[in-house]
Amino acid sequence: MENFTYVDVFSTKGVEYIVVIVFLILIVWYWNFIRDKEL
Amino acid sequence: MMKNDLAIPSGRNELGEAINEFIPFFLQELKPKGKIFTPFNVISGAIILVGAILIAFRLFKGLGAATHLSQDFPWGVWIGFDVMTGVAFAGGAYTLTFAVYILGVDKYHPIIRATVLNGFLAYVFYAGALLLDLGRPWNVINPIIGNDFGVSSVLFLVAWHFLLYMLAQFIEFSPVIAEWGGWPKLRKVLSSLTVGAVIFGITLSTLHQSGLGALFLMARDKIHPLWYTEFIPLLFFVSSIFAGLSLVIIEGSISHKVFSDQIPEEHHAGEKEIILGLGKGCAIVMFAYLFIKLLVFVHGHQWKFIATPMGGWFLTEIGGFVVLPLIMYVNGVRNKQVSLVRMASILTALGIVLNRLNICIIAFKWNAPVRYFPSWIEIEITLAVIFLEIWVFRWVVNRMPVMRKPPEWATNDH
Repeated sequence: MENFTYVDVFSTKGVEYIVVIVFLILIVWYWNFIRDKEL
Repeated sequence: MMKNDLAIPSGRNELGEAINEFIPFFLQELKPKGKIFTPFNVISGAIILVGAILIAFRLFKGLGAATHLSQDFPWGVWIGFDVMTGVAFAGGAYTLTFAVYILGVDKYHPIIRATVLNGFLAYVFYAGALLLDLGRPWNVINPIIGNDFGVSSVLFLVAWHFLLYMLAQFIEFSPVIAEWGGWPKLRKVLSSLTVGAVIFGITLSTLHQSGLGALFLMARDKIHPLWYTEFIPLLFFVSSIFAGLSLVIIEGSISHKVFSDQIPEEHHAGEKEIILGLGKGCAIVMFAYLFIKLLVFVHGHQWKFIATPMGGWFLTEIGGFVVLPLIMYVNGVRNKQVSLVRMASILTALGIVLNRLNICIIAFKWNAPVRYFPSWIEIEITLAVIFLEIWVFRWVVNRMPVMRKPPEWATNDH
């Protein structure tokens, strides 16, 4: 392919921040969920 | 087992005596143990024998005669499966040694020797399989000795790391060899090197696992956008963690049955907790991996390609071989169902194979009019390498204290 494609990396930054924050919130719940029946 | 008080010979005569004692011992150990003509031995032996002949054919006649590789598809199943997938599966060694020796999670100590042995053999055999893929195999030494180091290529890093990591793993495993030979003083010296070798090995692994992914960074226009990302190295590294742990579950389950007579009773009893613990590790890392994949998907504007045939294939890889085994791992760990965790590990391993083959072969020049498919010779040699590795693993486990307890005089825990 010889076309030059331009992807605007800043256009998705808002969504990416939300994904990371959701991950950080969910990982706490997820860790407790996996351990739940062990307790 | 040979008993030898002269653990480290101090003079030429003592060295000569030690060698004279070791040679007959080693020749005795070379003899097969157990039944020879079992179905597994017959089938795998035939494959290995044919593989050896085909390897000679490839070396004498060249790549063109033995493979379907071409200028358009220079990397095939030997790189895509043997090297990329095999090295990912060997990631269990650095992950588990980190858990046992650095974090002090002694629960996994019973399986650490087998895991390190597997990792060492994987690198030896798959780096060896890499030799077959080189047009001029004798040039493999160039990154090490000079004669054009090739420092502008990621392969320079990969070559050095493979060599150093094999050395580190050999040092980690060497106390077992000293126990086998009955050399207590040597064992003590080698054991003192273990933690250093583990730290060195983990450091190396983080970079060469991602380095294998970095090999594809310059193939931006050749790999389908759903698989190409500047974060391939990160994805390769993270996926090597759960790939390795999944293979430890698979290999451990098989070894537990095959070598059950060697395993002490307390290790039998602890097997379930070990597998559930490994499953939990996989579940956590795969959860993080899924979010990284989602970030990459958003960052690279990849949603444009989902409604295409390759998009369907991408969803198959992620949905069927990442999300599904993740759910199985979570359910298996929460409900303490070892069989569910084992099934999840098999699906995960298949997912890693699929991911590596996708990047290397299937999604590589996906729209080319003539595609690559491995020749029967490539497939046969790949199987021969795998079976030969299993034979060597079995040879070592049947003779050295890998599964069974070390001798009484081996007092420390390594």
